[in-house]
Amino acid sequence: MKKLIFTLSLIFVVYSCGGKFDTIEDLSDEKYNLVDQNNSRINFPGIVKGKMAVVGYIFTNCPDICPLTTNNMRLIQERLKEEKINNIEFVSISFDPLVDKPGVLRKFAEIRNLDLSNWTFLTGEKNVIDSLLKKVQVFAVPGDSTVFQSGEKIIYYVHTDRIQIMDTDGKIRKNYPGSSINIDEIVEDIKSLAD
Amino acid sequence: MKYKIFVAAAIFFLLLTNLSIVYSQEIENSKSKIQIHDPWIRPAAQGSNTALFFVVENKSDKPDTIYSAKSSLSEVVEIHEMFKKGDMMGMRQVEFVVVLPNSKVEFKPRDIHVMLIKTKKDLKIGDEGEAVLLFKNAGAIKVKAEIRDMPKMNGMKH
Repeated sequence: MKKLIFTLSLIFVVYSCGGKFDTIEDLSDEKYNLVDQNNSRINFPGIVKGKMAVVGYIFTNCPDICPLTTNNMRLIQERLKEEKINNIEFVSISFDPLVDKPGVLRKFAEIRNLDLSNWTFLTGEKNVIDSLLKKVQVFAVPGDSTVFQSGEKIIYYVHTDRIQIMDTDGKIRKNYPGSSINIDEIVEDIKSLAD
Repeated sequence: MKYKIFVAAAIFFLLLTNLSIVYSQEIENSKSKIQIHDPWIRPAAQGSNTALFFVVENKSDKPDTIYSAKSSLSEVVEIHEMFKKGDMMGMRQVEFVVVLPNSKVEFKPRDIHVMLIKTKKDLKIGDEGEAVLLFKNAGAIKVKAEIRDMPKMNGMKH
């Protein structure tokens, strides 16, 4: 009887752990040719291969949600550093590549004094970005806009509010609301996945 | 005849002066009863967008309305609100925000904010920026806001 209870408990624990970090999307065989904030050609997720990554999605014309997501990623980065958890990469991917050229992303990071030692901002050709977004189930559709007298138009996207954890094999393992993420929760999840 | 015209003009002038004093006193009175607490602006690179946040407190027994804002920090200033649809977030312009009597309204992240569109210079952490909030009753109220990445006291508790 004791053996049966033990076996059932074990099955329950294994099942629960597996469920918590099911693979949401597998990017291990994907190669997205993108460009980083320094205008260097980057293969994603190749750039983070063998490391766990915290991945966020932004556009720099966003005044509220994307800066919050970025700030939350900075807080996660700081917490992991404090807890001496290394080997974690940070990636911010723009879903507005026509505006977010490498220089724009670099300035976005610089003005926030972000530590880019393990953090890469990515942009690229629109069709490549679109296919990456589709794969990771992040959506961005044009919403309101501001039109200037010069005819210039700024588009504000209605978009998925998202930070994801990608494991060392390039599999997306958990989604979080980027602008309101629970820092303790993701740090604990990273620790669990690293074990 | 000249005397009558003079007296009428004097009375008219006095009335006008009185009215203007009463009017400006009312504005002063409303103004002192509208208080802006903890204004702050997110950092932004020149040419991008950012948001001004603050708490507005209406200490009077009449409602007031913020209907616009101005700032030399950006080319366009608008009042916006965030909205959520499933796990999607979006933003739209709002024409005004009512502040009820003896109450506070918080312009805060993931909610309403004054949006500074196409900033004219880099807004760096630690710097200050000015804006003017336009109220229906209290008139124009100038705010000096600190540039920082998150609200004070928030500590990003989740």
